[in-house]
Amino acid sequence: MVKITIDGKQYEVENNLTIIQAARESKIHIPHFCWHPKLTVSGNCRVCLVEVEKMPKLVIACSTQVADGMIVHTNSEKVIKAQNAVLEFILINHPLDCPICDEAGECKLQDYAYKYSVGESRFEFDKVRKPKRVELGPNVMLDTERCIMCSRCIRFCDEIAKKPQLTFTQRGDHVELTTFPGECLDNPYSMNVIDLCPVGALTSRDFRFKARVWEMSSTDTICVGCSRGCNIKMWVRNNEILRLTPRMNPQVNDYWMCDYGRLNTFKHVNAANRIKAPMIRKEGKLVEVGWDEAIAKVSSELKAYKKPEIAAIGSAFSSNEDNYLFVKLMGILGVKKLDIMPHIKTGDQDELLIREDKTPNMVGTREVGVKPDSNEFGFSSIMNDIRHGKVRALYVLDDDIAADPNIAEALIKIDFLVVHASNENETVKLADVVLASSSYAEKHGTFTNFQGKVQRNRPAVATLDHDRILDGMELSRLDKFGSHNDRWTQGIKRDTRATWRIVNMLATAIGIRWRYNTCEEVFNEIAAAIPAFKGLSYLKIGTNGALLNLKKKSVTVKD
Amino acid sequence: MSDFTEKLLLPEIPNLHNIDVYEQNSGYQALRKVLEMTPDAVIDVVKKSNLKGRGGACFPTGLKWSFMPKQSSKPKYLCANGDEGEPGTFKDRQIFEFNPHLFIEGSLISAYAMGVQVIYVYIRGEYVKWINLLQKAIDDAYAKKYIGKKILGTNFSTEMYIFPGAGAYICGEESSLMNSIEGDRGYPRVKPPFPAQNGLWGCPTTINNIETLSNVPLIINRGAEWYSKIGEPKHPGTLLFGISGHVNKPGVYELPTGTLLTDIIYKYAGGVRDNKKIKAVIPGGSSTKWIRGEEIDGVRMDSEALKAYDTSIGTGGIIVMDDDTDVLKVLARLIHFYHHESCGQCTPCREGCGWMEKIIKRFIAGEGKLEDIDLLLNVANNIEGNTVCALGDAAAWPVQSVIKKFREEFEKRVRKIPIEKKYVPPPHLIVEKV
Ligand SMILES: Cc1cc2nc3c(=O)[nH]c(=O)nc-3n(C[C@H](O)[C@H](O)[C@H](O)COP(=O)(O)O)c2cc1C
Ligand code: SF4
Ligand code: SF4
Repeated sequence: MVKITIDGKQYEVENNLTIIQAARESKIHIPHFCWHPKLTVSGNCRVCLVEVEKMPKLVIACSTQVADGMIVHTNSEKVIKAQNAVLEFILINHPLDCPICDEAGECKLQDYAYKYSVGESRFEFDKVRKPKRVELGPNVMLDTERCIMCSRCIRFCDEIAKKPQLTFTQRGDHVELTTFPGECLDNPYSMNVIDLCPVGALTSRDFRFKARVWEMSSTDTICVGCSRGCNIKMWVRNNEILRLTPRMNPQVNDYWMCDYGRLNTFKHVNAANRIKAPMIRKEGKLVEVGWDEAIAKVSSELKAYKKPEIAAIGSAFSSNEDNYLFVKLMGILGVKKLDIMPHIKTGDQDELLIREDKTPNMVGTREVGVKPDSNEFGFSSIMNDIRHGKVRALYVLDDDIAADPNIAEALIKIDFLVVHASNENETVKLADVVLASSSYAEKHGTFTNFQGKVQRNRPAVATLDHDRILDGMELSRLDKFGSHNDRWTQGIKRDTRATWRIVNMLATAIGIRWRYNTCEEVFNEIAAAIPAFKGLSYLKIGTNGALLNLKKKSVTVKD
Repeated sequence: MSDFTEKLLLPEIPNLHNIDVYEQNSGYQALRKVLEMTPDAVIDVVKKSNLKGRGGACFPTGLKWSFMPKQSSKPKYLCANGDEGEPGTFKDRQIFEFNPHLFIEGSLISAYAMGVQVIYVYIRGEYVKWINLLQKAIDDAYAKKYIGKKILGTNFSTEMYIFPGAGAYICGEESSLMNSIEGDRGYPRVKPPFPAQNGLWGCPTTINNIETLSNVPLIINRGAEWYSKIGEPKHPGTLLFGISGHVNKPGVYELPTGTLLTDIIYKYAGGVRDNKKIKAVIPGGSSTKWIRGEEIDGVRMDSEALKAYDTSIGTGGIIVMDDDTDVLKVLARLIHFYHHESCGQCTPCREGCGWMEKIIKRFIAGEGKLEDIDLLLNVANNIEGNTVCALGDAAAWPVQSVIKKFREEFEKRVRKIPIEKKYVPPPHLIVEKV
């Protein structure tokens, strides 16, 4: 530890830190563009210049190590002058197109221009012209004129994604970001460069021009694309998800997420094939009905079968709470044939984030009890029993098991198939009753990732079951101040319910008196009943998650 | 000490580039001598000689060598810097052409002193002729076992390779040079870490100028004591002064440090063309601050004396401008050079050089404004000291010094007729009054 003074206050800090790190730990913000906590230091933007007593020149805080007795000034006259100068320099060739720039509102340059520049320019010449709309790869677009040459994206590809695909060419104020000859920016993590880009040079081809950032609400939640469970922010306008961005969690995903998760885990929420209400098969066709009718139908039908004739498939796509209540109900009904369908994509895994297990909650689903007592009750035995007519009624939680044609063929034999589903799919096509369940973006719940980390997801999209204001969901400015004649306040709200609530309704119809009003109550019961969850609560899980108490370390935690 | 007339680096011996001739003139004797000394003793001799780097920064060479770790699990490297990109500088190529073995021998001694396994000679790509000449000399030295495995039967081995640059001034900056050798963009590195700790491929590395290294065999042969007394004691030795511009006999002149600038111009370079008066002199390559013609009497050419004139010896490349010179045009050309050569890595230099060029061009076009003079100065001040490498400073210094010393030249070029400012709305906005 060393003692240093920053802006007149003494701090004791680790001696291997740089000034910028030490200041950050002491909650002092030193402006920076090129520096990033998880990338190597490039020291090129020069906006972090600070004054260190006894040093002849200003030094860059990002690469200067602290030393005992060091006296640092981050807002002396000299420093402010240098910050003004650097911002003026950056702005002379930066287009002033904030009104049409995607980054506006979350732009470091915009923020710093307000905070650290004099507010006017002495530059009276034409700006350097460079290529606009350069497709760097399938997901990322480059506006070369907006680039401030901080090199964060290049370093990300080199150091984190380990795919050197980007570089600079040319010199001086003609420097351009580009891909290496014959390369394109197509690594599985390419879109992180969009978040890293401090300005609007790198934009998402999926999201660009869809919304101004201040029109959206952002909800802290998690990605359900695989068993990593990356922490994310979900951005919603008019009750429609427009983009996902990673949210920092040092134990799970750092600052990153993969492109697959970013692009492929939310579009189904607003897709045209959403199931808008419960449905019952009448004269061979699925027709929409009210919840009471659908639940009554399931309850009466299930009574018609002997216990061994019923099987149940939980879902590693559903939350701990969903699966827990499901197991509990099946236990009461005496259903022993209970398992889930695995979704392992062998080989589709890497050192950074992506996991072979494409479900977000395999560990949790097992821990809350969705596991057969013996092999004869396992998933493939159940399918065999169906083929042999031994199982005649099947209850499937949110999982499109019939996407596998072999299973679809078996399911044709089923007399009564009830499924929870948020979107039309192959299993729904065969169902007798469809219970319209909320997607992960429309409900509370917890998921347990492959590390055994229990993490919360939160509703970002309102349903008839979850009201944005009454239920304390995140609000955008339009949500707060928009009026009815505003075209962005009238998004669709569907009559879907969280799976745990549907199971609860069914239990009530069967005559079991459960009193779960909120998902949190279900979780509290899990915490009381299941040792692995002991001591956990929504409060404790917080925004960064909490580990299960697993006796054996079933998983290795990798940072 | 200006009575010292001997030519040490470029003696007038015919065919000295030939290895046999070089050997006949006590060539490679210093190497033989050194191989019987301890490496530390060699560094000590160089320290005592007070040899200063000839690459521009005048850094004490022995001290630089002593920064290299004695023990290292990694290989150690020496980069001999022959990029010679500084405008007004053309001295290292004389060594490649006329005395390449002196440089090779100096490099080998330095490699021995620092325990270096590989020497890279970085030469600017345009120097094709000199690359070929040096390669021939290296091949000959290999054949005679001066380079390679078990040099002269000792346990000392080192290899020597030429690395041609691709034509960027910035690759002469030492850390950029290392990136270039590694196959990366020629971007200077942020220091610290310094090359002696973390240099080429992350290994301990020393970078020295070609002329610096060529002095070493002389110091070994004739002693540190002798060397330290040549010229100005704080900056001893001879320098290869490259003089260009409006002189009758431009060229490279080897003279002791401390020689009068006027002697170099009038005694050696044959005086100014058509006997005109001198308007300005750039003393040490384009990056050094200018001296006004009226100031040059009594100016001695060494690192100490030039401090008094707020400038430096740089590479010893002297550029003389006569009275008819348009200093603004010269400055514009220099700014253009730095703008063109800025690597573009760091903000102040990348953006500032382009801006300065735009301002100076406005003066050249007669469109300058009075405020532009101070604006230009302010932009230069905002670059200086705030950049990753010294190219930013090198771009700022000429601007600062020319504004300081030739402000009237700018004032003369300020636009006389004021620009008429009148708002004329576009046709579609002109509404007839009803
Ligand atoms: C932009 C720039 C260009 C440089 N070009 C050269 C060069 O061409 N040759 C050279 O010897 N040194 C050059 N230098 C200086 C080197 O960085 C380094 O200081 C020198 O090679 C060290 O050698 P010395 O200690 O023997 O002088 C340059 C420096 C800068 C900032
Ligand atoms: S690694 Fe997995 S959890 Fe993370 S973003 Fe990608 S799909 Fe989602
Ligand atoms: S000062 Fe200029 S040349 Fe040096 S690193 Fe910065 S931009 Fe590159």
